[in-house]
Amino acid sequence: MARNKLRDPWPRARWSASGWVQENRRIGGEAVAFLSMRLGTSLLVWLLVGIALALPAGLYLLQVNLTEMTASWEGRPGLSIYFRHGSGDAALALSDALTARAEVALVVVTSSEQALADFRANTSLGDTLTLLDDNPLPASLRATLVPGAGVADLERLAEFARVAPGADEVVVEKTWLERITILSSVVRRLGMILAVLFGVGAVLVTSTSVRLAIEARLEELRVLKLVGATDRQLRRPFLYFGALYGVGGGLVAAMLISFGLLVIESPLENLLGSYDQTLEISGFGGAFLVTLLTTGGLLGIIGALLAVRQRLRHLRIL
Amino acid sequence: MTIEFHQVSKRFDNGIDGLRDVSATFEEGSMTFLTGHSGAGKSTFLKLLLCLERPTRGQVLVNGVNVTQLKPSRLPHYRRNLGAVFQDHHLLAHRSVFDNVAIPLRVVGMRERDLAKRVRAALSAVGLLERDAMSPGALSTGEQQRVGIARAVASRPKILLADEPTGNLDPGLSRSIMGLFEQFNQVGPTVIVASHDVSLIEAMDHRIIELSNGSILRDEEYAGDRASFESGVESA
Repeated sequence: MARNKLRDPWPRARWSASGWVQENRRIGGEAVAFLSMRLGTSLLVWLLVGIALALPAGLYLLQVNLTEMTASWEGRPGLSIYFRHGSGDAALALSDALTARAEVALVVVTSSEQALADFRANTSLGDTLTLLDDNPLPASLRATLVPGAGVADLERLAEFARVAPGADEVVVEKTWLERITILSSVVRRLGMILAVLFGVGAVLVTSTSVRLAIEARLEELRVLKLVGATDRQLRRPFLYFGALYGVGGGLVAAMLISFGLLVIESPLENLLGSYDQTLEISGFGGAFLVTLLTTGGLLGIIGALLAVRQRLRHLRIL
Repeated sequence: MTIEFHQVSKRFDNGIDGLRDVSATFEEGSMTFLTGHSGAGKSTFLKLLLCLERPTRGQVLVNGVNVTQLKPSRLPHYRRNLGAVFQDHHLLAHRSVFDNVAIPLRVVGMRERDLAKRVRAALSAVGLLERDAMSPGALSTGEQQRVGIARAVASRPKILLADEPTGNLDPGLSRSIMGLFEQFNQVGPTVIVASHDVSLIEAMDHRIIELSNGSILRDEEYAGDRASFESGVESA
């Protein structure tokens, strides 16, 4: 026992929960007061961090909504087969063959007579066809794939249809679904790149701001170190600064995204309305907000850690 | 706490010798004045004790432990046993007198209720209890120095160090400040005060170590008629 005492005459203070809470409450209060006193600088930092977070978060929302849209969209990939004149029976035979395949959900056959009737009904050019001796429109068939069927299924089906008797032309449809899926993938990757770039930006902004806060409190740090504050104690107020800058930035990002959604809501409604779709923004809820604030807070803490580590390493007391 | 300097030398990066082969022992509860002209090595002596500098050679033992070799993670816990007073106070202008004195107590995690009692006791001891809510900038130089002393003693350190605490005070205030150090020394801590004011410290009945160019020139115990004797002198 005596030997231990000799080895460690200055033992570490015992950790106590109440002491920890008391210290953190005091330091948190002081950090809030410090940022309030420099409100202009704080607002600028919040705005910068907010913009840095809003862009990738906005792209994330866009990607989530595109995915949602593709899930609810009724249009699915398929193919259209146009037959040579007089091949109406061949169309019916191929229809039976396709209906029997597992990847096909629906087959609709349009005879040349039906095509003519549709043309007359839907266009103003119907009367001009009376000038022709024969019906120029071919019989056709449209096959729609089951949900989840991929491009490979579509290509295989197209190969099958091309060699069918009477088939003249096979058109593989690149539907909106595929385009939106591709677009969604592009947006997701773009979002990831921007998240990394702007995340680094947010870290640098908070790091610089915290560094300025450190410079403003250098004398206090020297005194604290002189009276026996540990590095953890010296770091703590600045981690609060970083976290507050980050969380504030997250809040600003949420406000910017809300504003952006408000601005694009009306034209987006019109666009979707033209496709018989209604606007339902998903993903912008409580969980999104919490994630945004947490991410902001974490980036702020990382920035603060970088600044504190760099500055305190070379701090001379006297 | 007993303090021992064993053949301690300190050479700075610019080639100047702060201390040269200094050896001295300070018994627990003793009070000692370090004196000498500017650049004699008084501040270096105190900085070595505070572990703000590391010696080039030799050992600084506090209660038998060589503090010059303490790991950085152990230094804060060692420093919590020391109180330090400087000529320029190092008070925080944006904090009240109370909060300045409370700093070392908050560092050790003292509960606010106990902390308030301790701060008031320290301020009362230096006669500034009624100024606790004021900013240090609103106090006179002498009062600021007393706040610095209150901060140094509030945590009841085992060792109290002061570097030119009366540097810019008039003789009356200087005597009063030195009286405070004597008063705290009687409570128990080992006190070392560096001062160039020879007439002031020779009027007090405590040990005097005079440094010159980093070496100990004289080491005198007060013996009523201040008869010089050589005890403890191991200077090169």
